[in-house]
Amino acid sequence: MFNFDWLSGVSQETAKMIFLSLYALIGLLVLLLPTEYVYQGIAKEDRHWWNNLKLWSIAVLCILASIYNHF
Amino acid sequence: MLAGIDYFIVIAYIIGMLLLGLYFKKFVNSSEDYFLGGKSLPFWAIGMSIVVSDIGALDFVGVSGQAYRYGISVGNFDWVGSVPAMLLAAFIFIPYFWRGGMYTIPEYLGRRYNQKVRTIASVTWILFFALDLGVLFWASAVLLNVLMGWPIWISIVATAGVVGLYTYFGGITAVIMTDVVQFIIMFIGGFALVFLSLYEVGGWDNMVDKIATMGPEYRNHFDIIQPQDTKSPFPWTGILFGLTFVMANAYMIGNQSIVQRCLTAKNEWHAKASMIFGSALKMFIPILVLFPGLMAVVVHPGLEDGDQALPMMIKSILPPGLVGLMFAAFFAGLMSSVDSLLNSTATLFTKDIYEPFIKKGADDKHYLKVGQITTLVLLLIGVATSPISSDFPGIYVAIQTFMSYFQGPIFAILLLGIFWKRTTEWGGLSALVIGIGFAIYLNVFKEQFFTIEDPFLYISWWSFLLGFIINVVVSLLTKKHTEEQLKGLVFSSKILVENKKL
Repeated sequence: MFNFDWLSGVSQETAKMIFLSLYALIGLLVLLLPTEYVYQGIAKEDRHWWNNLKLWSIAVLCILASIYNHF
Repeated sequence: MLAGIDYFIVIAYIIGMLLLGLYFKKFVNSSEDYFLGGKSLPFWAIGMSIVVSDIGALDFVGVSGQAYRYGISVGNFDWVGSVPAMLLAAFIFIPYFWRGGMYTIPEYLGRRYNQKVRTIASVTWILFFALDLGVLFWASAVLLNVLMGWPIWISIVATAGVVGLYTYFGGITAVIMTDVVQFIIMFIGGFALVFLSLYEVGGWDNMVDKIATMGPEYRNHFDIIQPQDTKSPFPWTGILFGLTFVMANAYMIGNQSIVQRCLTAKNEWHAKASMIFGSALKMFIPILVLFPGLMAVVVHPGLEDGDQALPMMIKSILPPGLVGLMFAAFFAGLMSSVDSLLNSTATLFTKDIYEPFIKKGADDKHYLKVGQITTLVLLLIGVATSPISSDFPGIYVAIQTFMSYFQGPIFAILLLGIFWKRTTEWGGLSALVIGIGFAIYLNVFKEQFFTIEDPFLYISWWSFLLGFIINVVVSLLTKKHTEEQLKGLVFSSKILVENKKL
């Protein structure tokens, strides 16, 4: 049990899909955050798309997913 | 192996760091300035600092060596082992710590659970950091001695002198701003090696083709996901359960030297952004430290010791001048690790031990002085104890591995503490003590329980799970905290709704 033998039947391809699904889930959770919350600390007049932290997070997750998809 | 220009670059770098660090002395007038940079720092500096303090000179050599032996799967530690955890930290934990005006992670645990949990967590970190300092000094100096022919005591004294001076006077602002320069030096040196190595092996595709023909032991070298039954320490099950779910989160959320940097941010947006920016930068780290090891498989096949991969690549690939820059990058890695340990340990001692137990209610200047003196004392202890490491081969790895066993239980109590109101002080305390005990037990008898050679990922998962269960069970059996006690300490959708009204 300690060695996760019960997961030995899972192929590397399936395992990779698990990781990619995890990134998609995290991305979805980030998108669900209220926009006000991710801008907290910036004055209303200074809020632009480029300081929307949701976009930053999604960009990072996309790069990460492309690395795992490639290798 | 160094030319005159290389020595010039390394010495210019060291002097430059000293002058830059000392410049920030004028910004330190209170303990908040010293420990939290006056809450005035921008996200980009903090993000760079998080990344560079996480990688030392030993990691350059060690990770390249592992890439040489095990292939690209080592990159999991900086990719899936960082990004999800840093996003969780950015959006959930850091805003709570920042809004609460906290200085240390144990301070949060103290408010959420009780003083005992705070003290156990703080003492554990202080002991680890203090022990690590001497070991880090020695191991890095030995490495620089082997690579550069630089005398061991010159490395130790130069690093201790420069880092000690700017950390003593400039506090965390000096630490973070010197880290920015160290980050740039590290990236320039590292990428120079990667590009020249790629040219040497005839490009990426050529390298992949050559390694593929080198035998069955290289069959999985370019598989980032390793099978469950791999003999390497990185089966996908360990990467998912041990690294992604536990160790990465414990490191990014429960490590004082990481979180303290975010608490220096000028506002909540910068605090969150620093972690996300850091996660973006983190994705480049495997390119710097892993790719040279992979390319060494082609350029220097059949090395007995994988840790020789990077030194061999530097010797055979880099021209004079760039060799100096690469060694400046090594020094940057060492300095950024040492300054982080010094400042974080001084903060933990002053805020979690000295202030509550030794002298309560003193004026702010007093605590500033205590922080500075603690920095100095730690530095002297680190230098004085560093030669002891030479009598205990493998102590560096032993200390790092030992610390990894605390990560599971600490993350269990942090996670439940912030997400579950019902968690009680006795639940947290028993989870911490029993979880740590279980991790030590699994480590002592690891041959009986595990089939892979170094099961630290599995141990962190199982100790986390037990700590989690113990926390839930004991909490349900003990008296719950009042709403007043939990105010501002437990995550709730109200934090999001309230923001809509702002």
